[in-house]
Amino acid sequence: MKRYFDTGNRAITEGAILAGCKVFAGYPITPATEIAENMSRRLPEVGGYYVQAEDEMTGMHIAVGASLGGLKTMTATSGPGYILYADPYGWALGCEIPIVVVNAQRVGPVSGITGAPGQGEFYIARYPTHGGNAETIVLAPNSVQEAFSLTVEAFYLSERFRMPVTVLADQLVTDGWETLELPETREEIEKMGLRFKEREICRGPVFYPFTDQLDVPPVVMGHNTGGTCSDWTPTDEGYDTEEVEWAHKHSYRLINKVRNNKEVIRRYEEHFMDDDPDVVLVAYGSPSRVMISCVKKAREEGLKVGCIRPISLWPFLDDLYHRKTNYLVVELNYDGQLVREVQRCVPTGSNVHFFGKCGELPSVAEMLLQIKQILNGEPLVRSDNWEWEAW
Amino acid sequence: MDYLANKYLRPRKIPSTACSGCGLGQVHKKTVKAIDELGLGVEDVVWGTGIGCAGRQTFATWKGDNFAGTHGRVYAIASGLRIALPPDKKIICTVGDGDSFGIGFLNLLHCARRNVDMTVVVCDNLGYMSTGGQYGWTTPLGVKTDSSPYGTYESNFMQEGQDVLNILKDAGATFLARHTSLQGQEAVESIKKAILNKGFSLVHVIYPCVTNFSDRALGTRKPIAMYNWIKERTYGLHDRVPENEMCFRTGIYHDASNTRQEFSARLLEFTREIQRRAR
Ligand code: SF4
Repeated sequence: MKRYFDTGNRAITEGAILAGCKVFAGYPITPATEIAENMSRRLPEVGGYYVQAEDEMTGMHIAVGASLGGLKTMTATSGPGYILYADPYGWALGCEIPIVVVNAQRVGPVSGITGAPGQGEFYIARYPTHGGNAETIVLAPNSVQEAFSLTVEAFYLSERFRMPVTVLADQLVTDGWETLELPETREEIEKMGLRFKEREICRGPVFYPFTDQLDVPPVVMGHNTGGTCSDWTPTDEGYDTEEVEWAHKHSYRLINKVRNNKEVIRRYEEHFMDDDPDVVLVAYGSPSRVMISCVKKAREEGLKVGCIRPISLWPFLDDLYHRKTNYLVVELNYDGQLVREVQRCVPTGSNVHFFGKCGELPSVAEMLLQIKQILNGEPLVRSDNWEWEAW
Repeated sequence: MDYLANKYLRPRKIPSTACSGCGLGQVHKKTVKAIDELGLGVEDVVWGTGIGCAGRQTFATWKGDNFAGTHGRVYAIASGLRIALPPDKKIICTVGDGDSFGIGFLNLLHCARRNVDMTVVVCDNLGYMSTGGQYGWTTPLGVKTDSSPYGTYESNFMQEGQDVLNILKDAGATFLARHTSLQGQEAVESIKKAILNKGFSLVHVIYPCVTNFSDRALGTRKPIAMYNWIKERTYGLHDRVPENEMCFRTGIYHDASNTRQEFSARLLEFTREIQRRAR
């Protein structure tokens, strides 16, 4: 094992290289630029290719195109670029082509604040393109080390499910400096629990059967398999069709290959959840780090508080929120996104509260104050008379 | 077409669903004929298509590998694919004028700049015809379409001084030609040259849309009227054209075939060099 002091951007690069990524195509954007820079340095060393595209949409299309040629590929961006991915994301989802997409979330809307963390793309990551009729896979790291391991995992899942997988990070995770341990031997890789899958090639003649099963190889061009893929609704052989019957079958596959195999994706962490806590905190990404510290502090003070950190965000882990209690969802946005899903999942009679900040992390003290207000049955503390609870 | 169709195209996709009398089949046939005359097999070509009449009607007609991109994006996808494919595989794309000169133009320009090895055959029906007939970027000035009921007022990409092929030439394309689908072997020869260029080639072929363009612009759906309309306006590159007459200037605009290193070859060489240095 080699120890470094480095950024999440570096971790993501090394995760991709270890997973066998051979092409990176993207467009410079804060705070994901360093991923592109690192890839431009590292890829040629391992026989890979870096392409700087004319915009983010093109970057992802080039990456998906290279994946269609049989190479593992990645692209990385932040919010303003992620929205431009809508077109290639949809194409890759519909054609069922593997690719890893990194989003280092910053403050929005629009260009917002470039070098500060936000969590505004929770729902966009679920619905990264138009048209519906598909499930998506999203993983959210909260540390430099996890940015590494989840990038490896994203490649694994994208190959098994033959689809794009988003690593939804935030600026603090990608720009933040922390200890990064990189495995050097097979044993170390195994000890870290990393999973890998090589690219396989669909040999036809039926390309994507009407099934929810995993490990059906994706279409790859250039092997004269007669492979076909398109933006249209495909028949099982990949021909374009206008018939609803095929649209139904295609959607069934796109939706159920994810829904019926959720266990493969499922990842979360819980702390102090064994004694039916009076307040359960929920957060993902960098605010979850503060949340975990806060819960430990609360326990020291004798408060019955626990926390849940979803790591695989989508498909959403509904069952984690089965307790009837008070919830406090902490996010790096002011509008409240994750909180809506938590509200959807909790049993009736639960109280769901929202504490949002953006561009900076909430402090342990701030969070603790909110917990105490909830325990006292009082409204959350506001600094500027903004009725936050009205998410 | 029978010999060519049997050899290269999928029976279930031929004849295509294009309107009867449409000139698209002529462009399609010329492309397949060029492939055949070069002695290429089904396995040598990966066929890409875009959106619109040209894209939809030619998608998955090729017996080998086929892909269809979203609108305007086939050039970007092909650029990525080019990196992954062996250098001897040809990428041939049949696309429309809206796909290439409109929504996909930025990508097209950068493919020219990078000199990505692919052959783009622009099958130009002079506007957006699969959506019913709206004007596009090569629709001649003053022509009526459903979105220009009083005639188009905007200048276009085939006008003197702003020809799209000149723009592509300046961007770095290494083979450029323009024809009409009514021309014969000379168009096939251009497509052959385009395919033989290891670099970015584009052949612009104007063809008659007898259903929508002809109906609004000429007031008739009689194929002969539309075919003649194109024929009368077809000139060679150096022919004298009567003043103020709208025309299609045909011929090889630019042939710098194999003079500049192709994108993926350059990338491969670059990567090998870095690897060598790293060792
Ligand atoms: S609408 Fe025009 S271009 Fe399209 S298939 Fe019909 S005739 Fe051909």
